[in-house]
Amino acid sequence: MPPWRPLAGSQLLERLRVTGRRRQAVDPELVSRLRLGLETGLTDTEAGTDGCLAAPVMVTKDRLTGALACSEHRPLSELGGSAPTMAMACGALIAVLFRQLVTVGHIDDPVSDGMAGLSVDDHHQSLTSWIGTLSATEKAELRAELTRQAEGMQRRWPPLEAGWLPRTREAMRVPVLGGAIELSARVDLVVGRPAVDEASVAIVDVKSGARQVEHRDDLLYYALVEALRAGAPPFVAATYYTRTGELDVEPVTAPLLFGAVHRTVAGVRILRDRARGIEPARHSPSRCSRCAGLSGAEDHGTATATPRTSRTSRGPSVQVAGGTRSETAPAPPAPTPTAATHRTAA
Amino acid sequence: VTGGTPGGTTFATVAQRTRALLAPPSPGTRLADGTAVRERLAAAISPLAEGMPGGRQVVVSVPTLRQALVDPARLAAPEETFRWKPAFARRSLGLAVVEACASGRFRAPAEAVGPIVQEAVAEWDRTGWRTYHWEPWLAGLPMGARAVVLADAVGWATGLWSSLDWRSLVPEVQFGATYEQWVSPAAPTVRLKARPDLRVPLAASAPAGPSDQMGEGGVALVSVCGGCPAPGWADELAFLALVSIVGSTSRPAPVRVLGLWPEAGIHRVLNIDDVALARATDRVAVALSAVVEARASGVACP
Repeated sequence: MPPWRPLAGSQLLERLRVTGRRRQAVDPELVSRLRLGLETGLTDTEAGTDGCLAAPVMVTKDRLTGALACSEHRPLSELGGSAPTMAMACGALIAVLFRQLVTVGHIDDPVSDGMAGLSVDDHHQSLTSWIGTLSATEKAELRAELTRQAEGMQRRWPPLEAGWLPRTREAMRVPVLGGAIELSARVDLVVGRPAVDEASVAIVDVKSGARQVEHRDDLLYYALVEALRAGAPPFVAATYYTRTGELDVEPVTAPLLFGAVHRTVAGVRILRDRARGIEPARHSPSRCSRCAGLSGAEDHGTATATPRTSRTSRGPSVQVAGGTRSETAPAPPAPTPTAATHRTAA
Repeated sequence: VTGGTPGGTTFATVAQRTRALLAPPSPGTRLADGTAVRERLAAAISPLAEGMPGGRQVVVSVPTLRQALVDPARLAAPEETFRWKPAFARRSLGLAVVEACASGRFRAPAEAVGPIVQEAVAEWDRTGWRTYHWEPWLAGLPMGARAVVLADAVGWATGLWSSLDWRSLVPEVQFGATYEQWVSPAAPTVRLKARPDLRVPLAASAPAGPSDQMGEGGVALVSVCGGCPAPGWADELAFLALVSIVGSTSRPAPVRVLGLWPEAGIHRVLNIDDVALARATDRVAVALSAVVEARASGVACP
């Protein structure tokens, strides 16, 4: 079996463009039903009205995942552990470098360019300061990893046609229940003109770290938000892993969107309760992405995941078809069984 | 007020949105009388400004209107020293990008943004003239930071570019790079500032029947807004029209304002009539009172 190699150039774009499924026709009825599902699920019969909260409940992919996580998999950020880490620094730097690559077509020095990109964003002030405090060894490690990932991106990502309207870090907002709840998303890359007859937009989430089971839920959340704001879902949602060059492609279908509605309703109810000062009872693991991913991987036998051993571990080690990974960062967890993970022999 | 909204079940196409923008005013529509609007506005706000500590001028813009609603206490804080950020440059650069695309020079924003910046910086370098004001700042940025500015501008421009059918708008549309302003006559003065993104001349409407008069054309304004429509959005759109009407005695008055919220996929069309202008005036008065009160309490409790 030839060694697996990441897609590059036109093959990468083709993988995004041609998912193997027909693109969905623009169907206002579908979007109405998605919204109805959300609003019915979120109509608050106990409190009587949603207007009792002074500010809208802001929903993001991270807040949703955190709210739905079981106590075992509750993210560190929810436990007050949001101090900068090397992984966060690498992720933020890769995010600005990806924008640079898409917008101006090249990256010169990954560290200089990345730090300059972060420095014009006030939100990253504490992170850039923290990077400045790293030891020489840590800085060298960060530089090595950034350089490796940036080289991979430049080698694999071809220029995107301007006519496809590529835009980076696209903000999306959808008010629900008259604005009492606001679904918010920021997608790393959106490509495609507004849909006319059939779904025409592709969304890509870029990750610098290892694959996590919740990434698929993130994609479907993005797809739902895009469907609600644009009146048509994207035809594809994908996660691109800059560390390995893997591309997980998810053709967006109505059942997946309704699944995202159910998950969003479950998460928002928890977030809304918390906004009211009500801490919900211990969560059932049924909605926890990590629990679902582990059991799914075991059920499907596509990967063998070891149980999570530490809250600080970003993911269990895993063997996948094609051999054990030998990356410098921790090995990725099980691939999401239903996502169409690209593994093509070059 | 009309407009496609994801809160309902209809989504406007680009063509529908453009038609809503360009529709001739209703037969018999008369443009607002600038003199009368100016007098009403001055009468409503001048007494309120008298309480301003030190008799200083009060500046009221859309951000002031919003802050007066959501966080009036912050109006007491002195204005921060201006410092360029990508968020400040993206509108001006984005508008230049859309204008270049609409003129046919470029196919799409991603293609236009690099050359537009290069030309602007080169022109500033050669003549010292700053068409957009951000030229020296952008010229001094390292590559990575400049890329963020360009990427933000492409995003902003794409939101506007893909919202309208530009073949129907060009060449009459005017791209609003600068503020429209009006200063109240009595001291302490109040300066109203607003910046619509586009001014689109409208055709005069034909009479609907033998007893109707020919409607006047006027203009439509377009404003690109962030996030979702917040409470009071209609008054904020009307404020743009109000400032345009009182700020110029020579330009045609707006008869409608199209608000675009690309992040939310929402647009709203607000027809400008006496009621809309009165509501905008009331909103200015509320904001002005909040500013005066906040500054007065700030003086009392340093």
